[in-house]
Amino acid sequence: MQTDLYYGDRDAVETAICKAIDEGMSPKEILDNGLILGMEPVGRDFKAGDLFIPEVLLCARVIHAGIEVLRPLLEESGVPTRGKLVIVTMAGDLHDIDKNLMSMMCQGAGFEVIDLGIDVSPEKFIEAVLAEKADLVSMSALLTTTMPSMKATIDALVQAGLRDKVKVPIGGAPVTAKHTQDIGADSIAPDAGAAVEAAQNLIA
Amino acid sequence: MPKQLSVSTLQPMVKMLSDEQVQAIHYATLEILSQTGVEMQDPQGRELLLEAGAWESNSRIKIPENLVTDAIATAPSRIPMHDRLGNLTMPLELGKVFFGSGSDTTFTVDVKTGERRRATAQDVENFARLGDALDNIDFVMSMGNPSDVPPDDLYIHEFIRMLRGSTKPNVYTTKDRTDMEDIYRIAVAVAGSEQALREKPFFLLYAEPISPLLIPEESLQKLIFCAEKGVPAAYPPSTNTGAGGPITLAGSLALGNAECLVGLIISQLIRPGTPFLYGMNTAALDMKSTIVSYGSPEWPLGMMAQMDLARYYNLPAWSAAGASDSKVVDTQAGIEMTFSILTNFLARATLIHDVGYIEYGSTSSMEALVIADEIIRETRYFTGGLDINPNTLALDAIARIRPGGGFLADKHTLNNFRTSQWIPKMIDRKQYDDWTAAGSKDMFTRANERAREILDEHQVTPLSEAAEVVIAEILEERAA
Repeated sequence: MQTDLYYGDRDAVETAICKAIDEGMSPKEILDNGLILGMEPVGRDFKAGDLFIPEVLLCARVIHAGIEVLRPLLEESGVPTRGKLVIVTMAGDLHDIDKNLMSMMCQGAGFEVIDLGIDVSPEKFIEAVLAEKADLVSMSALLTTTMPSMKATIDALVQAGLRDKVKVPIGGAPVTAKHTQDIGADSIAPDAGAAVEAAQNLIA
Repeated sequence: MPKQLSVSTLQPMVKMLSDEQVQAIHYATLEILSQTGVEMQDPQGRELLLEAGAWESNSRIKIPENLVTDAIATAPSRIPMHDRLGNLTMPLELGKVFFGSGSDTTFTVDVKTGERRRATAQDVENFARLGDALDNIDFVMSMGNPSDVPPDDLYIHEFIRMLRGSTKPNVYTTKDRTDMEDIYRIAVAVAGSEQALREKPFFLLYAEPISPLLIPEESLQKLIFCAEKGVPAAYPPSTNTGAGGPITLAGSLALGNAECLVGLIISQLIRPGTPFLYGMNTAALDMKSTIVSYGSPEWPLGMMAQMDLARYYNLPAWSAAGASDSKVVDTQAGIEMTFSILTNFLARATLIHDVGYIEYGSTSSMEALVIADEIIRETRYFTGGLDINPNTLALDAIARIRPGGGFLADKHTLNNFRTSQWIPKMIDRKQYDDWTAAGSKDMFTRANERAREILDEHQVTPLSEAAEVVIAEILEERAA
């Protein structure tokens, strides 16, 4: 299954999951030892520069498809997901590409991702964090001008009494460690790959 | 819709001269050859030319147009250069582009200590091995005059070290005809027989006249030797502007062309069909420092122009690029190497040497050679042009995509990114934090590490025992 996953063969991975279920493996075992573990060489080779973003995304999509196969069984047996993440593009911004990248990378790492779309107001965002019982609120800024809205969102989380219930990793080109500290975020990552790693570390 | 013709890929090519300009230079060359004449110091060359219809006046040999025309007619339009294992790796033909290291520096920068010091025989072999490992280096030329061998045997040692260090074809230099004979003996031993060597040549002589207008006996005899044996040679004059040539490139090209054509004529008189690589060196003598500049824009200007002359004569040509006047491998070196490599590629120069020179050709640098390899790779990708076809127009993907959603995760991206984008090896595009985590290494440091890695790891097929026996014999004879 792990080789098929590495090469992005969705059909083969789905078949392997069904077979494992038939053979009586628990859904948690399949998730942890099959899919999540299978993503490790992908992440490693991406970091080493041997794999490229489109290939990593392909693997992430295959994992996501695999998790969808497992989802009814996981819910039935009450296995908690790896973590739940609400993702948005902030109010005033219509850019979608980076959010979609992050969303897929997180799905590939086994997170459950709630994507609320673009130009999302802080109120709507907070509402979703509450309703979905999210574990993580991850924010990214491309331009220096969007950085203040990161602070506004954290302030909104504090006001709603949610700040201690969620971890807040942030990232993006203009974001520095000092900014992370200043606005009270939890961690910083320069790119989507590192952001997924940071998210994993925060809820580990 | 019936099947339509494909829109072919335009691979950009730059001509420096118009057809009329090429002809004007050609006519100027004929004027120089027939009216000014050359000083021919080699008696054999003098006899050959006079017998063929040249005449002598005011102790100059003057050459009529028909000798030029005849020589161009019999010179082969391609030289099938092989590696020393017998594989055709470098067919010198117009339209094809090959790069190699550049020759005979006095100094080298030690890759381990960073010290600028006199080059040794081991350096020549190490540079050959580095060139052997680099994918975009097609031939090797000695990257140093070894200071640790008897001066009379210098070029023999260079040749031996190049052969040991690399299987790629080489361009070699010699002192005189005796050197030629010894090098030929070694080459025959490597090829297996004289016939095998002629059929699959892996070595090409670089000899030159003394510009302006002087054809010395020593250098012409080297060329004559190659013609007698039917093995490839180049005879590029150095009509550097303001030194061996007039300060103006046009005059430099006309003069260089005249001197080069004398070499061509001699080679074809000795043996019609002798493989002869056309070309000249037209770098600029700097009017402040008196160095011959390997970073000036006049250098590629002249080299590109002589490619237009080469195409007029339908002969593959010699050229030069990938060098620098900078004393270190710095931003200036990067600019100068890129400028000359890109322009030479765009002009489709055939055999481009001097790659990896710094300090106006006085010092060789392994880091420069490794960086140049990357520049050549990037240039090759760029000059490949744009494919326009249904797949690259991506209409399906464009129709499929959600507005604003981006193509990053689309299967068209996945299926095409490796061919649609150039992927660097030495150039760094890491995000800042990843770059610092990897040691904050600049280009020079990365190139230095890569060169050392190659020297540690790269293996080259050794010479046959028979060849080593001949080498040992020759070195013994020379020591006696």
